[in-house]
Amino acid sequence: MSGFQPPVFIPETAIAERVDALARRISADHAGVDDLLLVGVLRGAFIFLGDLARRLTVPCSVDFMALSSYDRGATSSEGVRLIMDVRVEIRGRHVVLVEDIVDSGDTLAFLIHTLEVRRPASLRTCVLARKRGPEGRLARLDYVGFDIPDRWVVGYGLDYDNKFRTLPYIGVVHAPDDD
Amino acid sequence: MTIDGAAAPPPVLLSERQIADRVDQLARQISADHASVDELLLIGVLRGAFIFLADLARRLTIPTTIDFMALSHYEHGSAPSGAVRLVMDLRIPIAGRSVLLVEDIVDSGETLSYLRRMLEARGPASLKICALTRKPDRLTADVRVDYVGFDIPDAWVVGYGLDFDNKFRSLPYIGILPPATKS
Repeated sequence: MSGFQPPVFIPETAIAERVDALARRISADHAGVDDLLLVGVLRGAFIFLGDLARRLTVPCSVDFMALSSYDRGATSSEGVRLIMDVRVEIRGRHVVLVEDIVDSGDTLAFLIHTLEVRRPASLRTCVLARKRGPEGRLARLDYVGFDIPDRWVVGYGLDYDNKFRTLPYIGVVHAPDDD
Repeated sequence: MTIDGAAAPPPVLLSERQIADRVDQLARQISADHASVDELLLIGVLRGAFIFLADLARRLTIPTTIDFMALSHYEHGSAPSGAVRLVMDLRIPIAGRSVLLVEDIVDSGETLSYLRRMLEARGPASLKICALTRKPDRLTADVRVDYVGFDIPDAWVVGYGLDFDNKFRSLPYIGILPPATKS
């Protein structure tokens, strides 16, 4: 698979422009907040978070959460488990949760519940890509980079079997049951 | 806490342009050195390395995969051995793999030396270390750093992933904190 270059779905320049626009909106929505906490969800969000954080004009801190990955074939509602929690206390803080992709929304809902019981001052969600699948959208999303069709996308942090994460653009590969 | 989040931004030590140029060079060198590797495993050390890793990884021209480790110092200060507590270990076994450990900063080098020994015990095919910054004046450990972004003076630097009390991490450049800012 290493010789395969996934075709471009969203080019680097389009991602950069969209990240700029999201950063402006998030900064405007949090004007006056003295220390916004960005919580990145590993491993997929690190590139998106790296670019987004640098473009925010409000002071911010960064922390991470890691979840168990589920086996291919399992649905996302199965076995979501916190492997690494944030290090900082979020009670009373303004928080933006940063995710790479939302599919069923179950993982995001899990994260929102996990954080909301800690009573942050505010909690908003920011995702790079939202899949337009057959199901309705369950999780609340405040900032969405791109609405994408129900295809397997890779790059810019997104992976296929942990490959292609580091592509600078978002590309498309076949779904596992296509090949 | 003596730093006001709204205070003037720290003066620039390394500009965005300088960092981007250097990251490009490092990526070319790392790609060339690993030209025959099927898949290079990049290990980012949280939290400081995530911006550097994001930029470096995208510029490599060889197939890569990513994993992360999170560390924490033991209570009662840092161990002289450089030993640290593993808050989150790798998900991927590294035996037989070509590995590049990506760090934000090398200070005394004791922690890095410990990490190198810990990872080498797992039997990777190769293990190299890439650090964005290194403070030569602070080095006490005898640890090989294969790729160094910048040798910097012994000052408190922030930005591009580096923090002071978890602040300034997301500055797009590397700035320098005047001594008076530290509490």
